[in-house]
Amino acid sequence: MDPIAKPDLSAAIDQLWIRFLPEIRERVAVLEAAVAAFATDQLTEAHQEAANTAAHKLAGVLGTFNLTKGTVLARELEIMYSRENGPEPALAARLASIAAELRVMVENRK
Amino acid sequence: MAHSILIIDDEDDIREVAALSLETVAGWEVVMASSGAQGLARAIEYQPDAILLDVMMPGMDGPTTFRELRKNPATAKIPVLLLTAKVQSSDQRRFADLGVQAVLVKPFDPLTLSTQIANVLGWS
Repeated sequence: MDPIAKPDLSAAIDQLWIRFLPEIRERVAVLEAAVAAFATDQLTEAHQEAANTAAHKLAGVLGTFNLTKGTVLARELEIMYSRENGPEPALAARLASIAAELRVMVENRK
Repeated sequence: MAHSILIIDDEDDIREVAALSLETVAGWEVVMASSGAQGLARAIEYQPDAILLDVMMPGMDGPTTFRELRKNPATAKIPVLLLTAKVQSSDQRRFADLGVQAVLVKPFDPLTLSTQIANVLGWS
């Protein structure tokens, strides 16, 4: 088989992005829920574990869809949520900022 | 003859992009599995030329799946490449020490994934 032309592969990947966008949005929503819980001192172990997993999955996939910065930001969140006692309180604003940035990135990928 | 590869990953999006990439860029035959247990069964059934195996999966994770593949004479010699979003060097070393052919990092570039794999396996 002849190698596929780059524009064709890009178009096929765009189709997969559309197909999997609901799952990707859901992962961002998990991060947003964790931010809200953290802001009100209600971050449970379950929130933290879910946020850690969501961040890990986003880190692994966003760059594949050409959102390299999204992978970098998601990795930063994964590190923060993987701490045994949860993110440091001083990082609340950073957690919120990253979650918001990821939301914008995901909603605006063309 | 086209190479064949089994992709074992619980994440649908990663699995589908990897399959798209390997099928369309390289023209390889791709079989997919969404869990370690399903991957073991498909490896026995299809006898792929290589296996691309995710590390973090619920139930049987990648390292456990790899050890099971090695225990079974029907799959013991199939080259395995781990795929992981863990980028810390300690994780990378730990995975490499399992005896896999290579550890590839997520996210991957769909345009070059097949080249990465082919280089590791010596496929021209």
